[in-house]
Amino acid sequence: MMWSLSPTSILAGCQPIFAQSSPVPQPLPFPTPSRLRILRRCNIFLTDAANNFRIPQLQQHYDLIGARPTDEKTLQQACASLDVDIISLDLSQKFEKHFKYPMLGTAISRGIKIELCYSQALLSNDATAKRNLISNATQLIRVSRGRGLIFSSEAKSVLGLRAPSDVINLASVWGLGAEKGKDALTKEARSVIEFSRLKRQSFKGIVDVVYGGEKPPVVEASEQPQKKQATQPKDQKRKARNSLEGTLGEEKPISKRQMKKNKKANEQST
Amino acid sequence: MVRVKNRYLVVSLLYPAASTPGVAVVPVAQFHAPTPDAVHPGQFMRMLRDGIAELFGNYGAGMVNNALKVNYWSPATSTAIIRCPREHYQMVWAALTFVTKLPKPANTPVVVKVVRVSGTIRKAEEEVIRRAKLLIQSAKAAESPQHDPMMESVVRAVDRRRELESTVLAQVDPGEESESESE
Repeated sequence: MMWSLSPTSILAGCQPIFAQSSPVPQPLPFPTPSRLRILRRCNIFLTDAANNFRIPQLQQHYDLIGARPTDEKTLQQACASLDVDIISLDLSQKFEKHFKYPMLGTAISRGIKIELCYSQALLSNDATAKRNLISNATQLIRVSRGRGLIFSSEAKSVLGLRAPSDVINLASVWGLGAEKGKDALTKEARSVIEFSRLKRQSFKGIVDVVYGGEKPPVVEASEQPQKKQATQPKDQKRKARNSLEGTLGEEKPISKRQMKKNKKANEQST
Repeated sequence: MVRVKNRYLVVSLLYPAASTPGVAVVPVAQFHAPTPDAVHPGQFMRMLRDGIAELFGNYGAGMVNNALKVNYWSPATSTAIIRCPREHYQMVWAALTFVTKLPKPANTPVVVKVVRVSGTIRKAEEEVIRRAKLLIQSAKAAESPQHDPMMESVVRAVDRRRELESTVLAQVDPGEESESESE
């Protein structure tokens, strides 16, 4: 079910705890449908660019790593060098500087997606927060040129969730076309998940064996010497070899007399 | 004579917080609670107008104002058909998305979901009927206690099949494509 994979359904383990396993319990304590894939996501708040976030350790325990930069410097770091899957900005606050394409462009070309969370625009009572969110969202759409965006809710309750087509419409009102809005909900969201899976499981993030196939059956040893007999010694000339083959060849054309005999025998037997 | 062109939005109201602890509800019908009787279409309309004015200002309110109308209102199934001008249906849709609460006396948290955008009211009505039938069928299937192996296998097969996009995404009638994109 592809829709269940959209980031709205991703279970978020918020605290980056460096324990042996993630705080999200492995078999979840409530029943889940068999076809639902549940992903674990870790959101890191980037407060200091000099900090070491130990992302490789986190990657072993979570399916997705999100980064939330809090200022210009950490955003730059997250776009350029950090090995995360999603950059999710707090859109309800005002940023001092405009977003620039070179910075976000490097992130997008590295396969990092930028997350737009819409739930605060719907639920918050603060008018300036709503205004900031809309202006930031439109700016991000403009700067990223509609590529590498994903929509998610960041909803604290069911009330903050909206149907996919409602979100697509919202995106198209905010300046992203309907087609690109649909991509942001379906294609990009899936590509984030597949990309992070490839990072974790494949060889250097490039080669992944999907299905190795079965081993070919072992060739019987008795066939080999027969073939050797059939091949001619190399020192003979081609003409001579041909004439030799004519006499030796097992597939000699049957003579007409033989054919007639065969036919007669067939008729008699039937 | 040039006809004034409209779009009809088929809207279903969902109540995520409505599950009262005493009443056991079928999981299928969990969000599809009936709308309280205190809400009538006039109130809903006023709320929608206010929402549009809040989101798009006087410009939006003025553009939408004369064509906006609730054509059909069914509190029992919590569905409605809303008419709006064709050029600006996205504004109305966005305003509907931003609705979080029913108007004053009821004050219930609500999520408004646009199910279908149609160019004619007939198609919109057909969609309403189809939705209601589907809901009743699935609720009945979930409620019936006896197990029918054949039915179960069919249900499983349907469950296994990937959900088509058309069942998840609202169908939007084409037309005015170029204009809506250039906006």
